[in-house]
Amino acid sequence: MIVTEQRVSRRGLLKTLAGASSGIAVSRWLRPDVTMAQDPASGKVIEAFTGPRANWHWNSVGPYVTEPQKVPLILLTDRPVQLETPRHYFRTAFTPNEAFYVRWHLEGIPNAVDLNDWKLQIDGNVNKSLAFTLTELMTKFKPVSLAAVNQCSGNSRSQMQPRVAGGQWGHGAMGNAMWTGVRLHDLLDMAGVKSDSLVVQFQGLETGQGPKGLGSNLFLKSLDLDNSVLDECVVAYQMNGEPLPMLNGFPVRLVVPGYFATYWTKCLTGVRVLNTPDENFWMKTGYRVPDTPRGNTTPDDVKAGKVKTVPIGRFPVRSFLISPDGSAKIPAGMNVTLRGIAFSGSGPVKGVEISDDQRNTWTPAKLGEDYGAYSFRTWEAPWAAKSPGRYSIAVRATDEKNNTQPDEPVWNPGGYLWNRIERQEIVVGNAS
Amino acid sequence: MKNRVRAIFLVMCGLAMAAGVVYADLKKGYYTPAVLGSLRQPAPAELSPDSNYHVSAYPVPLADLAPGEGLQDVQIYCNTCHSPRYITMQPPLPAATWEAEVNKMNKTFGAAIPEDNTQKIILYLQTHYTVENRKQ
Repeated sequence: MIVTEQRVSRRGLLKTLAGASSGIAVSRWLRPDVTMAQDPASGKVIEAFTGPRANWHWNSVGPYVTEPQKVPLILLTDRPVQLETPRHYFRTAFTPNEAFYVRWHLEGIPNAVDLNDWKLQIDGNVNKSLAFTLTELMTKFKPVSLAAVNQCSGNSRSQMQPRVAGGQWGHGAMGNAMWTGVRLHDLLDMAGVKSDSLVVQFQGLETGQGPKGLGSNLFLKSLDLDNSVLDECVVAYQMNGEPLPMLNGFPVRLVVPGYFATYWTKCLTGVRVLNTPDENFWMKTGYRVPDTPRGNTTPDDVKAGKVKTVPIGRFPVRSFLISPDGSAKIPAGMNVTLRGIAFSGSGPVKGVEISDDQRNTWTPAKLGEDYGAYSFRTWEAPWAAKSPGRYSIAVRATDEKNNTQPDEPVWNPGGYLWNRIERQEIVVGNAS
Repeated sequence: MKNRVRAIFLVMCGLAMAAGVVYADLKKGYYTPAVLGSLRQPAPAELSPDSNYHVSAYPVPLADLAPGEGLQDVQIYCNTCHSPRYITMQPPLPAATWEAEVNKMNKTFGAAIPEDNTQKIILYLQTHYTVENRKQ
């Protein structure tokens, strides 16, 4: 709704805006304070974009930006807001709220919520429509807490070859938090879901400029009522023991353990039971993956119209080396500890292995504390290189259902489901 | 030309109305221009113990768009629903992909960009943001 570019015809814009919006500091839009800009001390900055080859950095390449309630995070887009978490925040099993990544679809995202007005509605094909204030959610139901990874469907999209359009995330569109709230089923049971119901649809405060009925107007997601994940869903009013940051869905967001974050509706206001399939854009067209192993396909098959798609669901098993991150040399002969995280949308991680010989031999890492099936699991492993050189450290995880990360990449037009074995180059220097 | 002027006028009216909405109620979609690379810390929020929970405007740093024919169309039309950083954030993309993206905005998302301006936007993106020609 606001023109952000300096190069727009200023006179025309000012004229038009003047009448309606004398309260807006239009002059600030047109003359930003450039004296505050400062680049890194080294004077060398990261490239403005990557491609056509894959992004060769762990994170995406955008600048740091400080958004409300956040530490500086990596900017993908500003309106609507998409921010990536820098790699070093993944040293711990729980991701700090102020560093947790952000992804919105439509520009109408809340700056304010009045809890005197806000209510969570449970309606649609139910025996009795209900509405709850935050106080009621906190006091009328038994609170539950659950550690769960929230990962964007497009996490690591910048790895795709060929590259695909969309948010060019590095690996930091993910985070793990302890979510506390009300079981979704407690709410649905109280309202009484009618027997001919098919899906439950979720709506939040996110809205856009597009015409009514289109995906650009409203962000809606749904889950089938026979999906067992509904038994595990939580309507969370706390994140790591604190209120949710506005950008992560204050006052409540849906938690769908093991599922990609597209279903975790932020600033949740409506839970609607439907007796018809959900035909809205965000289910029927957006967030769909090829109905193939790993969601893998080729540009040729897409062009030929051969690809049948299904809504995206659970995320595959993944693991990362977090430190050392390759930004500094390690002296030869020095014993260091490799540290990282692993997780899976299909149950607990049972093992993490590392390799430093082009993925020929694998050594088990030691797993850290277990916070439950859907949490990040930290791992560590001792490592040292006797001689100077360039080493490639690879990490792979296996979950309880024996899903293991493959060495092959994945490709689909949405840029979803990336989970190949990641590698990190470590430079070992002469120690004397 | 007449059509174009009318379209720009309509978009401007839309912007003005939207801005009016913002002025009337800063609850949603409140953004502010910003400068990248600032090392200054944000000031702490001012809070009162009422039922209103609010955050400041979301910063919008200027996107560094390539100069050239069609830039103004991008700034006017694309900017209605999202900032042009959505363009600069992308990797270099094939010309056909840019065409498909702009058509998606019209057909799938209801952007209703006039045909003349749609073609100008497509040409602008194809001139500055493909593998062959992307510079910044």
